[in-house]
Amino acid sequence: MSTTTSVVERLRARIGQKGSPTEATVEAGHLKRFVEAIGDPNPRWTKEAPPTFLVALAPASMHLDEAEEYGKGWLNGGNRFEYFEPVRVGDRITATSSVADVYEKTGGSGSLLFIIFETDYVNQDGRSVARLRGTAIRR
Amino acid sequence: MTVQVGQELPELVKHPTTRQLVQYAGSSGDFYEIHYDQVFAKSVALPGVILHGLLKAAFLGQLVTDWLGDRGTLKTFDVSYRGLDVPGKPYRCRGRVTKVEGDDIELEVWGEDPDGQRTTLGTATVAMRS
Repeated sequence: MSTTTSVVERLRARIGQKGSPTEATVEAGHLKRFVEAIGDPNPRWTKEAPPTFLVALAPASMHLDEAEEYGKGWLNGGNRFEYFEPVRVGDRITATSSVADVYEKTGGSGSLLFIIFETDYVNQDGRSVARLRGTAIRR
Repeated sequence: MTVQVGQELPELVKHPTTRQLVQYAGSSGDFYEIHYDQVFAKSVALPGVILHGLLKAAFLGQLVTDWLGDRGTLKTFDVSYRGLDVPGKPYRCRGRVTKVEGDDIELEVWGEDPDGQRTTLGTATVAMRS
């Protein structure tokens, strides 16, 4: 128990911490493979990114080694996207993630650790295109 | 077509396969083994390989963008994963209009497993072109 408590404490110390920005270009081939994978045949997605593509373009969470000391595995709890500008083939996107919150919940089936990440996506013109809030769960 | 509260979105039924999970893993860069390695998935107390939450979000995204077309713009899309879904079973995506305020529309969307359990719940807001 003391071990898990200290994992939560160590992770809570990371709230507000930002990861290194990652840059990626929206490539037509990548977009094509992504829309084939999700099975969405809308011709609009040959030029423009569908709603969840940004997560595939640039990671929306930071790697936190100590989180893996908690529980057995990860689950995705949820994702909230806010969209400001369309994302198109050729756009160069910079993604910057941060740890927004960390907390533990104990229920009937045991304890869960929640890590909330926020990611800002900015394009080559310095315009914010989207923001993502993701809930990663250790169980 | 006028958008009204209570209006249902045309249903979208997806038939996810393990092959699709591998395609999604490859194209999204999410190589967590619970989505393609049965032995690994069972070792972390899962029933077997499960769908990526974000793949279910993509299905619900398609539900919304198919319905919306070029009539407006998606502003927010919020999805919460409440249950596990496995490949080989149909996944029904449904939604309805919950609020209309001028050009701003709010939708409730959800994904159902074959037992009718809502394993994914979401909301979307769209701005219609005036």
